[in-house]
Amino acid sequence: MEKQSYMRGVVRSPMFSLLILFAALVIYFSAASKGLFLKPKNLVNILNAMAISALLTQGVSFLMISGKLDLSTGANGTLCGMLLAFLLQHGTPVVIALPVSLALGGVIGLFNSVLVNEINFQPFIATLASTSVFTGFVYVLANKKAIDIKNPVVLWLGKGMIINYIPVSAVMALLLMVVVGVILHKTKFGRQIYLVGGNAKAAMLSGINPKKLSYKLFAICGVFSSLAGITLAARLQSGTIAGVTNARFQGITAAVLGGISFGGGSGGMGGAFVGLLVLSGFNNGMTVVGLNPYWQTVASGLLLLFALALDVFRTRRNAKA
Amino acid sequence: MEQYLEFTGIGKAYPGVQALRDISFRCDGGEVLALLGENGAGKSTLLKILSGDTRPDEGGIIIDGRPQQFSAPYDAIKAGVSVIYQERQLVPAMSVMENIFLGEQPKTSLGTIDKKALRQSTQDIIDKFGLPIRPDELAGRLSVAYQQMVEIMKAYRRNSKIIAFDEPTAPLADAEIAILFDLIRRLKEEGRIVLYVSHRLSEIFRITDKIAVLKDGRFVKYLTTSRTNEQELIQAMVGRDIGDTYANLRRNDKLGDVLLEVCNLETEYLRDVSFTLRRGEVLGLAGLVGAGRTEVARAIFGADAILGGEIRFEGEAIDFSEPKDAIEAGIALCPEDRKDQGLVLWRSIRENITMPVLGRIRKGLFLDRAAEEHLAEEAIAKYAIRTPSINKIVRELSGGNQQKVILGRWTNSKMTTKLLILDEPTKGIDVGTKAEVYQMICDFAGEGFGVIFISSELTEVINVSDRIIVMRNGRVTGDVTRREATEESVLALAMTD
Repeated sequence: MEKQSYMRGVVRSPMFSLLILFAALVIYFSAASKGLFLKPKNLVNILNAMAISALLTQGVSFLMISGKLDLSTGANGTLCGMLLAFLLQHGTPVVIALPVSLALGGVIGLFNSVLVNEINFQPFIATLASTSVFTGFVYVLANKKAIDIKNPVVLWLGKGMIINYIPVSAVMALLLMVVVGVILHKTKFGRQIYLVGGNAKAAMLSGINPKKLSYKLFAICGVFSSLAGITLAARLQSGTIAGVTNARFQGITAAVLGGISFGGGSGGMGGAFVGLLVLSGFNNGMTVVGLNPYWQTVASGLLLLFALALDVFRTRRNAKA
Repeated sequence: MEQYLEFTGIGKAYPGVQALRDISFRCDGGEVLALLGENGAGKSTLLKILSGDTRPDEGGIIIDGRPQQFSAPYDAIKAGVSVIYQERQLVPAMSVMENIFLGEQPKTSLGTIDKKALRQSTQDIIDKFGLPIRPDELAGRLSVAYQQMVEIMKAYRRNSKIIAFDEPTAPLADAEIAILFDLIRRLKEEGRIVLYVSHRLSEIFRITDKIAVLKDGRFVKYLTTSRTNEQELIQAMVGRDIGDTYANLRRNDKLGDVLLEVCNLETEYLRDVSFTLRRGEVLGLAGLVGAGRTEVARAIFGADAILGGEIRFEGEAIDFSEPKDAIEAGIALCPEDRKDQGLVLWRSIRENITMPVLGRIRKGLFLDRAAEEHLAEEAIAKYAIRTPSINKIVRELSGGNQQKVILGRWTNSKMTTKLLILDEPTKGIDVGTKAEVYQMICDFAGEGFGVIFISSELTEVINVSDRIIVMRNGRVTGDVTRREATEESVLALAMTD
């Protein structure tokens, strides 16, 4: 009896249906690509793509769980990747260039946080607007050209492999994901994020300062965005103008698919990981089966809409229960 | 034709609970019928069925002899049913007249809204009820009480035959309640059917003609108000005799030294407020809604800026910049609105109880789960919180148990609370649990806390507190002991210049 109801709980949980969806995607893409999808070389591609999305997801998850949002993660990462390339090109030692580029991400996060906490802009609006500011700086810095990266340490981060098959970046991203998961669930800091996301007024009256917390979370999100942008630049061997700009929605899509609601206060890294699997498998599968890139954009958009619908559906079901 | 509303054999199940079972009773035109029962008795579900929000599994509703099938709230409105919920349902950014005529504004021959006719018709309704509201005022700007009046006028305008009120007096002060009752009497005189849901027994005796008592989803008793008494009602509701609640309270009579001194306090909302509180004392703050009671709590807690005078706590002047500092100093505030400001509804009992002490239950970098569980278990045992697990989501608890979770938060053994401020702790709680909360308040005093008890219910505030501060318009208008206080004298202090 006990076991039966436990099984029913598992079957009804959103993660279970997502895993089913993932399995279906794997089966479909494997068949449609005549096995190409599951070839080691392609799995490496998936892991590589996952690394970037995973970093963006982690950053934005912190904010989303606290009830806020950052749409500027892509522009932030692109700018930081570009800055790294620029600094290295001008002879800055990597031990300085790398921390400075990461720090820029944090500063950008703080800038967003000022807009949200001091001027009281909606996070959505504030970060939508700041996106175009940061993108502008990318153009200024690049001066119309991509900037090559030749530093071996940085390249190792983006292209390095462990035992020939496992990308260094993916290992880093997934290890960080475990760390983030532990922070969220086992520490005072993590708990405060959930409490503020669940009810900021109640949290404040219980001695938590939602504003201070929000500053920290925007900064953390900024650093993660920066790391994503740097990782991509390293992999491409250059700071590019496109960078991770279009990947920002991937971070949000994976988070929402995985059960991190826009309403705040719910979800975690376990779900986000499953969301990442679905997202990365889906994106890669479309390429492997040779879908026209324009249609891929349409399909990615539809996946985001699907994730949003899932969020609305879960929220509504919870409200009724 | 005869006007009546009849429920016939209504049953409704939700996953895991039979919310209603074979509910049958009838209410006639020109009558006010009270729907009475503890939290969870099924009153809200029944109202939802009446308003077309929920469909019953069995049975149905008959209005004037015709069986009704409501599949959406719109059907119920068409059939002449208006339900006025605790949560206001006005559009705050629209004017009073637009709200009253929402969806059915008079049109000019060009098809645009005929503002003149709209204003005039609204004014007619306002005059009929004799209210000081202007048709052009934004609904969101009105006080809670007047917003409720606007909703009643909206129901009136729709010509609703049946008007149901869900705890309408919960946010109102006594003077406002008098106006509301006046409106209800008018509706009754016009032959309409009024359903009245409330926890407050005194009101039920003031305003209703018949009483239908529900318990655990069943219909238990149908009574005529003039031929029953409080004892009988309470017995029917709780199935036991709770006796005279106040006389049976075990009070604390050992007062300690002065804990809190408020001297000539001025804030944006308060003028020259002074009082003192001793350890072991329960100090009641009485007054109408908006008298400044909550604002006193906010000033002490550091939520509103102090503009003049001072607050001394344990002999030292305090002026906190954020609640965190107040909590550190030993001051706890249970806010007025449990769901909005008190609880994180989607998190567990455990997480809600440890909110203010997360920094004190750490083991290295991490939260000490065992210590946390211990605190939660402790609160559940101490306050007899009814729950199968410390990990149950707070939202799924009844109002009374939710309130106990908040009390558990502020009095857990990792807290160093010395002053406990309770703002409307019994709001929306059933009679049985209220008595428990009163006893808890006295017990807190017994443990040496200073307790400030804010309540809009005169009876409870003057019977539970040791001393009562009466406020009006941000000023203190009276400072009386329990022995001196009567409902009449306190009400007079709260209302007159």
